[in-house]
Amino acid sequence: MQITVRYVAALRDRMGRPGETLDLPEGAADSEAVIARLRETDAAAEALAHPSVRLILNDAIVPRPAALADGDILAFCPPFTGG
Amino acid sequence: MARIDTGIIDTTLDPAAELASLAGADLSAGGVASFLGQVRQEDGLTALELEHYPGVTDQALARIARTAAQRWQLDRAVIHHRVGRMTPGEPIVFVGATAPHRRAALDAVGYMIDLLKTEAPFWKRVHTARGSHWADAADTDRQAADFWLDQMASEDA
Repeated sequence: MQITVRYVAALRDRMGRPGETLDLPEGAADSEAVIARLRETDAAAEALAHPSVRLILNDAIVPRPAALADGDILAFCPPFTGG
Repeated sequence: MARIDTGIIDTTLDPAAELASLAGADLSAGGVASFLGQVRQEDGLTALELEHYPGVTDQALARIARTAAQRWQLDRAVIHHRVGRMTPGEPIVFVGATAPHRRAALDAVGYMIDLLKTEAPFWKRVHTARGSHWADAADTDRQAADFWLDQMASEDA
């Protein structure tokens, strides 16, 4: 199945790109599996594993780990700093 | 039923107009409370740039305002947040509440700004003469939000 990953704000700078598309095996796919997959080829992806990183799945803020389905858009976000 | 007014502003935020829209608007309201956040000049900051997550931010602000309106029986709850580039002294966020009595209005405003800090997807980028960097989240913001969440949890128990 295919997942679109987005990196937001400081994580976008850290990863050096705004996002990418990943092909993952059907079943057993969640946010942590995405991080593990990215870390195989990119040392910068270690930053995504930090407990402070928040997830936005499609159009909702969700807790970790987040289960994923084909076509999902998963955004990795640093802690929010508005206000 | 409380009136909820939340949104993202990409032009200037006018504090006087924001407050004027609350004053006298609800005849049952004995108290109007508000908070104005503005860009602080420190550590060589020349500008602040606010990024957000379109679609999700709007929902988060509306959810925070709805929760406050319900919890404190507000007549009106307002959250207007700037995005884009701002200079020192410019307003970033206006939070307002009207309620029959002052305590409800004051507490609701405290709740809304504290929850906004940790639950609405905004990110600040700090620009200085030497370059730019992303602002770090403050532990005190997390603690402020937890104060309200703990209080509400103990009331519900």
